[in-house]
Amino acid sequence: MTSERPAPDIIMTARDLTLRRDGVTLLDSVSAKIRHGSITLLLGHNGAGKTLLLNCLHGLIGCDAGTITGPPLARQKMVFQKPIITRRTTGDHLRFLCPKLDNATIHEWLRRAEMDRRANAPARMLSGGEQQKLALIGALAARPDILFLDEPTAHLDFAATRFVETMVRQAHEDGMTIVMTSHNRTQAERLGEDVILLDSGRIVETAPADRFFSTPSHPLAKQYLAHL
Amino acid sequence: MDILIPFQIALSMLASGDVELMRIIGLSLTVSLTAVLASLVIGLPMGALLATYRFPGRTALIVVSNTFLGMPPVVIGLVIYLLISRSGPLGFMGILYTPAAMMLAQTVLVLPLSIALSRQAFESLNGEYAPLFQSLGLGRFDRVRALVFEARVALLTIGLACFGRAISEVGAVMIVGGNIRHSTRVMTTSIALATSMGELAFAMALGLVLLLVALTINIVSQLMRHSFRNLGHDV
Repeated sequence: MTSERPAPDIIMTARDLTLRRDGVTLLDSVSAKIRHGSITLLLGHNGAGKTLLLNCLHGLIGCDAGTITGPPLARQKMVFQKPIITRRTTGDHLRFLCPKLDNATIHEWLRRAEMDRRANAPARMLSGGEQQKLALIGALAARPDILFLDEPTAHLDFAATRFVETMVRQAHEDGMTIVMTSHNRTQAERLGEDVILLDSGRIVETAPADRFFSTPSHPLAKQYLAHL
Repeated sequence: MDILIPFQIALSMLASGDVELMRIIGLSLTVSLTAVLASLVIGLPMGALLATYRFPGRTALIVVSNTFLGMPPVVIGLVIYLLISRSGPLGFMGILYTPAAMMLAQTVLVLPLSIALSRQAFESLNGEYAPLFQSLGLGRFDRVRALVFEARVALLTIGLACFGRAISEVGAVMIVGGNIRHSTRVMTTSIALATSMGELAFAMALGLVLLLVALTINIVSQLMRHSFRNLGHDV
C-alpha cells in the first residue's frame, strides 16, 4: 500500500490482485478503481471473494500479486461484519477506537447513536445491533478518507439498519468514500453509486449502480440479480 | 487425640499474634509477593510477545520456558546457589542467605508459569483482536499494552496462581536462604524445621496460615471472576 493517488477523482486503485491459499485461487487478477467520495458496493454470492477483497484493499491481508494505491492506513477505517468489541465500557471502547476524541465529542457520537445512556455499560453486554452501531460510529468519528464496511447491516433489525444507512449517507454527503459489501438488493439500490460484482474471486462486472440494476450486461450479473 | 493439642496451641498463637510467627508470615508474604510481581513484570510482556509475534528463536524460548515449568524447585535453588555463591558469577552481589536471594529463586521458579499462562491467555485474545489492532494500525508496543489490558481478568488469576506456587515452595528458598532465624526463615522452611524438632504446634500454626492463604487465593480469584463477569468484562 502506498499513499500515492493515481488520479484526482480516484482515491484507490487495485491492479491485478491475486490471492492463493492452499493451491486455491481466492482472488484472480482483480483490478478496480474506487472513485473519490463514492459509495461502491461489492456484490456477489457467498464465497465470491467480497470480504477478502475488502480486507486486501484495507491492507489486512497481503496479496500474492498485484498492487494497491490509496490513502495510508491511518486515513482508512473498517467496520467488520461481526464487530470486534473490547472488554471496556461503551465510552472507553469508542475512546480506544478514536484516542484523539475528547469526552464531549465521544458523548456527542454516542448521543447520535442513541447510546449515550449506555456510555458506562460494558460494551460486550450491548446487543448485536448496538455493537454494530458502536463500531460504525467508532469508524466515522475518526473521519477517515475511505471507510470499508463488511455487510454492516447483516443480522440487524429495521431500526438499526435505518440508522446505519443514515449514517453512511451522511458520511457520503460529507465527502467520505465508502466501500461496502451487501447481500441486500434494496439496500444496494438505495445506497450504491458504483457496483463491482464478484464471482469465484474474479470481477464479473463493474458498472454504475443504476445501470447495473436496470440493465446488467454480463450473464452472471443477470443470473445474480435474478436470485437476489 | 494428641493431634488436637498442637492444633489448639496453634490457634492460640495465631490469635495472640505471636511475634516470631508474625515475623515469619510477614517475610514469607514479602518474599513471595515481590517474586510474583517481578515474574509478572517480566513474564507478561514475554507471554504477549510469544503469543503475538513470530521471530527467530521463538520456539526455542517456548521450549525452554515450558521445560522450566517442570523443573523441581530444589534444582532451581541449586542453580541460583551456584550463581550467587561467593565463587559464582553473581557472587559479587553478596545476596546469598538473604531475602533477596529467596526472591530471586522464587522469581525464577514462577517466571515460566507466568510466561506459559499469559501466552495462552494472549494467544486466545490476539486471535480475536488481531484484525482490529491491524486495522487501527497499532504498533507492537500498543498491541501488547492493549492485550495486557484486555486480558486483565485472566492476568489477575495468573498472578494468584503464581503466588500460590511461590508461597508454598520450600526447596529453593531453603538452599539460597539458609533458613536463618530472624533473617530468612519463611513459613515453609519453618514448618520443615519445626516438624523435625518436634515443635508441632508451631508447625501446625504455620500450616494453618498456608492453608488460609490458599483458601484466600481461591476465594479472591472466584470473587474477581464473578465480579468481572457481572460487569461484562469477562464474557
